[in-house]
Amino acid sequence: QWLVDLYIERGWNDPPQFSYGLQTARGPHRNLLNKRAAPGILTTFLYIYIYIYIYIYLHHSAPSCLKQLVSDWSSGVGAPPPTPPSSNPLSPPPRARPPLGCVATPPPPLGPMRSQRPADSSQSESEPDVERVVSVLNRALAACRQTVKDQVCSDVAKRLRLLEDSWRSGRLSLPVRRRMDTLSLALQSGQWDSADEIHRSLMVDHVTEVSQWMVGVKRLIAETRKLNPELLEPLQKPADPDQVPAEPDQVPVDPDQVHAGPDQVPVGPDQVPVDPDQVHAGPDQVPVGPDQVPVDPDQVHAGPDQVPAGPDQVPVGPDQVQD
Amino acid sequence: MATYQEFIQQNEDRDGVRFSWNLWPSSRLEATRLVVPVSCLFTPLKERPDLPPVQYEPVLCSRANCKAVLNPLCQVDFRAKIWACNFCFQRNPFPPSYAGISEVNQPAELMPQFSTIEYIVQRGPTPPLIFLYVVDTCLEEEDLQALKESLQMSLSLLPPNALVGLITFGRMVQVHELSCEGIAKSYVFRGTKDLSSKQIQEMLGLTKAAASGQQGVFVFITRFLQPVHRVDMNLTDLLGELQRDPWPVPQGKRPLRSTGVALSVAVGLLEGTFPNTGARVMLFIGGPPTQGPGMVVGDELKTPIRSWHDIQKDNARHLKKATKYYEAMANRSAVNGHCIDIYACALDQTGLLEMKCLSNLTGGHIVMGDSFNTSLFKQTFQRVFSKDYNGDFRMAFGGVLEVKTSREVKVCGTIGPLSFTGIHHNAQWKVCGINPSTTLALYFEVVNQHNAPVPQGGRGVIQFVTQYQHSNTQRRIRVTTIARNWADAQSQIQHIESSFDQEASAVLMARLGVFRAESEEGPDVLRWLDRQLIRLCQKFGQFNKDDPTSFKLSESLSLYPQFMFHLRRSPFLQVFNNSPDESSYYRHHFVRQDLTQSLIMIQPILYSYSFHGPPEPVLLDSSSILPDRILLMDTFFQLVIYHGETIAQWRKAGYQEMAEYENFKQLLLAPLDDAQEILQTRFPMPRYIDTEHGGSQARFLLSKVNPSQTHNNLYAWGQVLRGAPILTDDVSLQVFMDHLKKLAVSSSA
Repeated sequence: QWLVDLYIERGWNDPPQFSYGLQTARGPHRNLLNKRAAPGILTTFLYIYIYIYIYIYLHHSAPSCLKQLVSDWSSGVGAPPPTPPSSNPLSPPPRARPPLGCVATPPPPLGPMRSQRPADSSQSESEPDVERVVSVLNRALAACRQTVKDQVCSDVAKRLRLLEDSWRSGRLSLPVRRRMDTLSLALQSGQWDSADEIHRSLMVDHVTEVSQWMVGVKRLIAETRKLNPELLEPLQKPADPDQVPAEPDQVPVDPDQVHAGPDQVPVGPDQVPVDPDQVHAGPDQVPVGPDQVPVDPDQVHAGPDQVPAGPDQVPVGPDQVQD
Repeated sequence: MATYQEFIQQNEDRDGVRFSWNLWPSSRLEATRLVVPVSCLFTPLKERPDLPPVQYEPVLCSRANCKAVLNPLCQVDFRAKIWACNFCFQRNPFPPSYAGISEVNQPAELMPQFSTIEYIVQRGPTPPLIFLYVVDTCLEEEDLQALKESLQMSLSLLPPNALVGLITFGRMVQVHELSCEGIAKSYVFRGTKDLSSKQIQEMLGLTKAAASGQQGVFVFITRFLQPVHRVDMNLTDLLGELQRDPWPVPQGKRPLRSTGVALSVAVGLLEGTFPNTGARVMLFIGGPPTQGPGMVVGDELKTPIRSWHDIQKDNARHLKKATKYYEAMANRSAVNGHCIDIYACALDQTGLLEMKCLSNLTGGHIVMGDSFNTSLFKQTFQRVFSKDYNGDFRMAFGGVLEVKTSREVKVCGTIGPLSFTGIHHNAQWKVCGINPSTTLALYFEVVNQHNAPVPQGGRGVIQFVTQYQHSNTQRRIRVTTIARNWADAQSQIQHIESSFDQEASAVLMARLGVFRAESEEGPDVLRWLDRQLIRLCQKFGQFNKDDPTSFKLSESLSLYPQFMFHLRRSPFLQVFNNSPDESSYYRHHFVRQDLTQSLIMIQPILYSYSFHGPPEPVLLDSSSILPDRILLMDTFFQLVIYHGETIAQWRKAGYQEMAEYENFKQLLLAPLDDAQEILQTRFPMPRYIDTEHGGSQARFLLSKVNPSQTHNNLYAWGQVLRGAPILTDDVSLQVFMDHLKKLAVSSSA
């Protein structure tokens, strides 16, 4: 259940693949497994003594009951009685209800991956709109044209066409499409760090799909964040007057959790839905507004203002000492 | 007074230091008699979220051959504004900016809680980080594709202003010019000819540029090493278009792989352009070097690559020459402050034995996998670029460690990923690549002779000064100053005994053992280790002469023999069943990890999951292998989940799917969850093995547990036997301890 990229061919005893979000999440350690059992009752040596006694007993043909007693004693110090012996191997495991109180471990807390799944499934009905995503990216590129070298712009344009082609020909998986949708929202609203972080998560989690064109998007993010605010205005204006402009603080950070409400999706007449079953663009659908998007706090990538230990927290230096 | 346990933990948390002895013997002879040397494990850049760096530079002792840093242990005369160096006793005036200090207004470096402090050096240029990819193209199509994607991905993880370069090699070596415009150009070198650094620089046209001074540096930047943000698109395409080495490989031959020359060009390029600047050469190989200098095996497939057997029979033709070649290169690289990583992915050996010094002397990583198309490689590679709580890379460059000691002690050696750069008054080492877990072992000597011991009541002081380039390109200096009391080994032996840190000592002795194993025969190393253990038991055990049953060890030493038992069986000292490359790989990681990880490598951790209670650590013993348990074993390199017989049958019967057996499902999930925690933080990514009773991969567990029950004593144990017998002739811990006691109490020994 940790596998992110199921299509990755796994090697011999290959560890599972973790998503970028899970790798960068810096939660406190829940359960550090670094303890060692203390050998025997008191020390190694007592344990050894026991062994020696057994050894002596066994070699001096002690009465068998004694043998049993001693080896019983030494092999299972303090251990609870074993389950019925393997003569009946398929006796079922203890049932949940009566022994539930003494279940071996508390049910494992829901990890970030697991808690994401319900969100994923609830999203499956919304289909990110290729038109909107591409138009945002193209408007960003247009904004850059005044300041950025022609060659770079045409290079970026080439890659944006590649993205569009892959999308329209159905070569992009749903998570990629969805994250690109979020990325374009972040770009539109000037959340450069968030856009950059989504680009990185796509490169890490879906490199095979995105490596050819993502570098163009990456450059676009880098160039637009350098632009003067007035050059950005056409980008931030919604393309469709009906569209609700995304407020900067409303854009969810985690791409997987974004639920692009249907009212955000301007459905162009020539739009070819990739998966007809998944498109429910009806205006009477209950729109899930961006402010209702669940944002798992664990998954919020630390923005610059969340960085701890700024220079103001520096301990007393010689300069401060002077006064 | 806190217990030693607490003291030790506090010292590790605050200063990243663990000493074998926390009271020091007052003469050299007494120190020798303690068997385990006065030594420490030191983690120079231990992550300290609670320690923000200070924005000024350290105050140094004015004596030219001392230059120790002002620290909390110095005596300060606040009225006269003078401080006394606690190493050379020089009295130093404070610099003018400290004019305002007083007892109530002290700078941070005088406060006891800042025994470790980090300074940001404000002057000097802050050169960008440099990453030079050196890529083998003699790979299978699928492997090359996966590697190309990983490299493209890494461009997104690098800081935008980092410089990046690309060298590819097969039969020829190509240095790629990275320009934003025009057609892709590259310089081609023959893979058979050894070139001097000067020749390489001439051929790349670097010398001409260097003559024109400052301008020159700019020229280099635009040709072979470019800022990522400027060339990312072209480099992505360049990588995407990389083809397998076009030279045909005849039947029965290995591809010709010029790893030696490729590295020589990489090292020469950096040497000529960015000496003494943090840089990382990242070498990706899918097979052994087969031609030119540094060749490890010929191209005839019928001649297999050297094995331990060949080496023992002195039958490894290229071993000495290749090792010498790579050692020379590693030293050159270390002098310039550049580190070299090796990412070797192949099913057969790739020559790590010969090439290991490249990483071991420069602090680079070695990663070993079966294929570039595995999550093991992909995720390990991603983690090279992992970031800390501040969003900075967990890597630092160009570290220089200086160790200053008070006059009663001196450093006699160190083991870790570093290279020695000469001793005058203070020992100094270079650690070109360094990260928060890089841990060095330092061994000390007590100077005072037996007839003139260190007087009682004093303290020995050691200061570690680590200068390095932070990944945000700042130059920083971290200073750790620690002190320990001297003790008279005659009258205070019990105090010294209780100050023993058995975990640190086990790791420190193990590092010595691994160091010896590099040059000595395996059995000799084991004998040396055994002798040390017996001497330690003779010194500190309580017993009646010639009565093994009377033997006892105090709490502070009780686990030590067990660590030695597992160390003897570990792949760091046993080469059986490991190729020379694997042994090099295991040892590489052992001599750089911190104490916790090193101990896991020596004695793997075993946890048991059952219906009888919460998960608990259990003995690494065959008696712990029970039918109704799930075991999780962590050996650092492998993570094994083992389902006992009954559990495996229940799982096969599908009880976990039934609602009324929800608790069984939870039981199955618990070890997976804990394994996930380990997998998320470990570097390199371990192998992950999910097995069960009778499974072929259960051998990973069976080979690690103490064989307390074997086929030899199986019948004697009869029906009441619990646990799993191991088919082995290895001695068990019990037998080992038995012998140890006999030898320790023997009057003839």
